[in-house]
Amino acid sequence: MIYFVARRLISALSVVLVTLIATFALFFIAPTDPAGAICGERNCTQQRYNEIKQNLHLDKPKVQQFAEYTAGIFAGRDFTTSGVTRHCGAPCLGFSFKNDRPVTEMLTSRIPVTVSLVAGYAVLVLTIGVLVGSLAAKRRGTMGDRVLMSSTLVISSVPYYIVALMISLYLTVLYPILPRGGWTPPSENIGKWAAGLVTPWLVLGIYFCTSYARYSRGSMVETLSEDFIRTARAKGLSDRKVTYKHALRAGLIPVITIFGLDVAASLAGAIFTERIFDLPGLGVLVLDSLNSYDLPVIMGTVLVASVVVVTMNFLVDIAYSLVDPRVRLS
Amino acid sequence: MTIGPPDTTVGVEEHPASAEPARAASVAHGKSPTRIAMDRLRKDKVAVTCAVIVVLFILVAVFAPLLAKLEGQDYSAFHTDLVDEFGFPLQGPTAAHWFGVEPKTGRDNFARWVYGARPSLIVAFTATLFGTVVGVTMGLLAGFLGGWVDRVISWVIDFVLSLPYLLFAIAMVPIVESWRGGSFNLSPEEQASTRFYVLIFVLSFFGWAGLARIIRGEVLSLREREFVLAAKAIGVPTRQVLFKELLPNLVAPIVISASLSLPAYVTAEAGLSFLGVGLVEPIPSWGQTIAVATNWFKAYPLFLWLPVIGITLLVLALALLGDAVRDAFDPKTRR
Repeated sequence: MIYFVARRLISALSVVLVTLIATFALFFIAPTDPAGAICGERNCTQQRYNEIKQNLHLDKPKVQQFAEYTAGIFAGRDFTTSGVTRHCGAPCLGFSFKNDRPVTEMLTSRIPVTVSLVAGYAVLVLTIGVLVGSLAAKRRGTMGDRVLMSSTLVISSVPYYIVALMISLYLTVLYPILPRGGWTPPSENIGKWAAGLVTPWLVLGIYFCTSYARYSRGSMVETLSEDFIRTARAKGLSDRKVTYKHALRAGLIPVITIFGLDVAASLAGAIFTERIFDLPGLGVLVLDSLNSYDLPVIMGTVLVASVVVVTMNFLVDIAYSLVDPRVRLS
Repeated sequence: MTIGPPDTTVGVEEHPASAEPARAASVAHGKSPTRIAMDRLRKDKVAVTCAVIVVLFILVAVFAPLLAKLEGQDYSAFHTDLVDEFGFPLQGPTAAHWFGVEPKTGRDNFARWVYGARPSLIVAFTATLFGTVVGVTMGLLAGFLGGWVDRVISWVIDFVLSLPYLLFAIAMVPIVESWRGGSFNLSPEEQASTRFYVLIFVLSFFGWAGLARIIRGEVLSLREREFVLAAKAIGVPTRQVLFKELLPNLVAPIVISASLSLPAYVTAEAGLSFLGVGLVEPIPSWGQTIAVATNWFKAYPLFLWLPVIGITLLVLALALLGDAVRDAFDPKTRR
């Protein structure tokens, strides 16, 4: 077990390290021109351009820049701008080119939005998806099963953002049946917070539960045909107990694995929902930074998202190996 | 919640057709597994309907200039006389402008709609082609050669699959643009063509890994089989073993993966364009039109619904067709 964990940990760390190097190379070594982007096109004198370059240490060798950036993430670093030194605290991702705020601070201010969104999504998608899936599995081959499964196929075949956009435009703006999307911090007004998120939660939950319904149906169908289920039935357990106590537990394992990876990916993939429902999360931050070539912000977000995804992958692997020891051998 | 390549290969793993060497399966009917799958597909009404819709869209894209000429309009010509001072179109669909005109610019909606089918399909097909070729090659090499080649390729596959694809797609745009001198210095045409190639690159870059992993797994089991051992024993060169012996047995996973990638890429292209990080003017694209049309949807729903129907119908048809292809190659997944 220790060997397995160590191997997975090394592989996860290597992915994070390469992501760090790759993003840094993409953003700062490739012929991009951050100083030019900050300086702007008009009234950018050569002197000011050089000054910016010096302040950002862009004139130093690339390896040194990378070392400073990496050191900044773990220990923080100091930036000196025209004689004034500013300290950038421990997980330092630099300062925004656009408004000079620390990137870490900009990210942490956006994280509650994205996390609220994903948390609600996670709860809905798992409960509805597993419920629909196991119902369909129990009634396998009946009319109800076929209707359920074909409708999940059709729903998941329509692009997500089209569904979200149309619901947002027609059901929250034109005919305000559902509350409009928006962000209020939960500490300020918890009712408003929930009201602004309820529509995106519903849209996300209903759209993406379709794939969960299909996973859990497949998994449940397989589990229900196993010997231990037959044994359970043979010893006279009630149908409900067999399905929901014996089969569901075993059948859920693969679904939970997918769920773990999906939730991590959602943190980065919530862009469409955030844009359509007016939620100022991480995705919208990246989109906004794009127009101003705010490279530190984009790079910071990409890094954080990659680390979250890799960490979740790692945790899911470990959890899975605890549940199903056969995994460790492969 | 992710949208795009990482999901396209869900369920591709099980396909008994490919696990059997091509010859063994053909004994019963004297047909290859591919032929059997095609016969099944031809009997599937949903698949045939979807295929017809997809072909129609391809025809629209191919003959876009002809269709626009038939209507007598150009997709980039401004008709400012057809919009009022607030930019609102003065007329709906007419004999001259079949689907009406765009707000503000007065460009012809029909011409822009038929031209809009082009980038979606070109991006999707090109990215699928690149992704498939790279994925198959990498999978074959990793699975067949084993050893350190396998370890390196497998690591790269894991690496690519663990990157947040949507964020990288977005981050690539400013980077590549600044390689070419920054968006300030690029003409609209240059910017549009840059975006076009970035899209194809990003989609193929993130699309190959899933297929490569599946192919690798297949090859690992195939290479121990008698027909491969026999070929190696009589001294068939490696390249021939790979492409003449192994590849024909991998048709099913390749076709399935490609047919599931197409709708995902159409979705991704239009989605990124909708967010403003995909295609830009002057290339007409449905995603962009949707983003603009949301500002006018109350007063001018037609403008929004045209691209929405285009994308939805195309993706739906492609996705259901992909699903039918998977069922045809692997009856086990059939409901």
